[in-house]
Amino acid sequence: MSKFRETLEAGAFPVVVELKPPKGTGVDEMLAPVKPLAGRVTAFGLPDNEHARMRLSALAAARLVKEAGGEPLLTLTCRDRNRLALESDLLGAAVLGVENLLLVSGDYVTLGDHPQAKPVYDADSVQLLQVARGLSDGHDSAGLPLKGSPAFFLGAVVIPEAEPLAPQLIKFEKKLTAGAQFFITPPVFDLDKLRRFREHLPATPIKLLVSVKVLGADEIARAAAGRWSKVYSLPPDLVKDLGGKEPEEIMAGGVAAAGRLVQQIKQEKLADGVYLKAKGRTDLLTKILETAGL
Amino acid sequence: MIIAERKPLAEIKAMISPYKKILIVGCGTCVAVCLAGGEKEVGLLASQLRLALGLEDRRVEIGEITVERQCDVEFLTPLCDFIIDYEAIISMACGAGVQFLKQICGLQPIFPGVNTTFIGVNNEVGYYTERCRACHTCYLGVTGAICPVTMCPKGLLNGPCGGTLNGYCEVHPEKECAWSRIHHRLELEGRVDTMRQILPLHAHDRTTTPGTVIHPAYKKRYGTNE
Repeated sequence: MSKFRETLEAGAFPVVVELKPPKGTGVDEMLAPVKPLAGRVTAFGLPDNEHARMRLSALAAARLVKEAGGEPLLTLTCRDRNRLALESDLLGAAVLGVENLLLVSGDYVTLGDHPQAKPVYDADSVQLLQVARGLSDGHDSAGLPLKGSPAFFLGAVVIPEAEPLAPQLIKFEKKLTAGAQFFITPPVFDLDKLRRFREHLPATPIKLLVSVKVLGADEIARAAAGRWSKVYSLPPDLVKDLGGKEPEEIMAGGVAAAGRLVQQIKQEKLADGVYLKAKGRTDLLTKILETAGL
Repeated sequence: MIIAERKPLAEIKAMISPYKKILIVGCGTCVAVCLAGGEKEVGLLASQLRLALGLEDRRVEIGEITVERQCDVEFLTPLCDFIIDYEAIISMACGAGVQFLKQICGLQPIFPGVNTTFIGVNNEVGYYTERCRACHTCYLGVTGAICPVTMCPKGLLNGPCGGTLNGYCEVHPEKECAWSRIHHRLELEGRVDTMRQILPLHAHDRTTTPGTVIHPAYKKRYGTNE
């Protein structure tokens, strides 16, 4: 059983920090946080061509993280693979020692840096969860038996601030039925919204990780200009505080805010763990952990 | 119906540059409704080509004709004798019509005058939107008659993605999220539970091209081959 699964199931508030697979083959920067943080955090998240921008294979990156002494949490997107590729990559992950998976549909190609690429979506995230569970049960999506079946810890995304929320909640239920064992949210800044979302969660306990993000200067500028269009909202006070400041000041303010959020989420038991998005930088991640008292 | 858009004049002109006697064949059904390849558009293209070629001092004879449907052998057979005198043909039909015209009566080179875009609807004059991907597995019965394969850019079958913003699509911010609409419609119809059913992986083997459909009553006549 993975350390991440063990920690989450023991109710011990796992911390996952996101790394940034490079656009290229220079992996040193991506791997830099692994050694210094491996003892302090539970796992390292590897996004899969995040925001539809082409980067190093997340699966290869996950293996490198493992070799560097960290435990990976691999994201696998339906956008870039048909079911054959999804299944063979899932098996590949298993033999490379990657157990923790976050299965997502994936941002659409026209929003990324290869807008003319063919979007695949042979499966959606619900179906991919079923496919992965099927592999664990010893058969592929065509019903054919496997020689050796993988053990996975399956995660999915849920959107607390979705508007409208009702269809998102139905999808959430479908993901649970399909085999999701834990959920991760997009970044949350407004804890009241998270509290309200929690009221909609089913009576059966689910494992929820909340993403906490350090905003960049470009994001603050966009929000300050009223051009924020994400599935998570930014509190006006935070935008007002950080708007117009120098990028490093914004970063420092964002790190402090992230640390406080993590602390509050843990104290109030608003989630079972956190997923930190801090540009994959050791200094920022360390500071967040310190501020949060972790 | 099939929606198409007229190709740019420069592209059409380049395709027919080696020829001196050209026939433009319009199609009187879908592409006529979407103002891309009907009788009027044949006339317009002929005039544009005559002017453009005339400015270059090139003498090219351009004939015009429009048939009811280029995708139907019944309307193409009578055309074969007529087009035999021309060196090249510009078909203003959808891609199906262009290929069928060549197959039924084309000895000479044939060129498309339009780009075929999608299966859609005529909202009002000049405004057409896609509705169907001809995916061989119609889900409309369980999705409130809104097609997730077509209306969701990702073609997701089991609910909205995480990019829905206030009920609008992340990919096309001016369009409502297909799954928000599906949910709303199913709610109005009192059958929102339909959405809780997990739709399985789509059977893409049925969409392996080129497709063939033989009406059950004609199985004996055609067997399984086209």
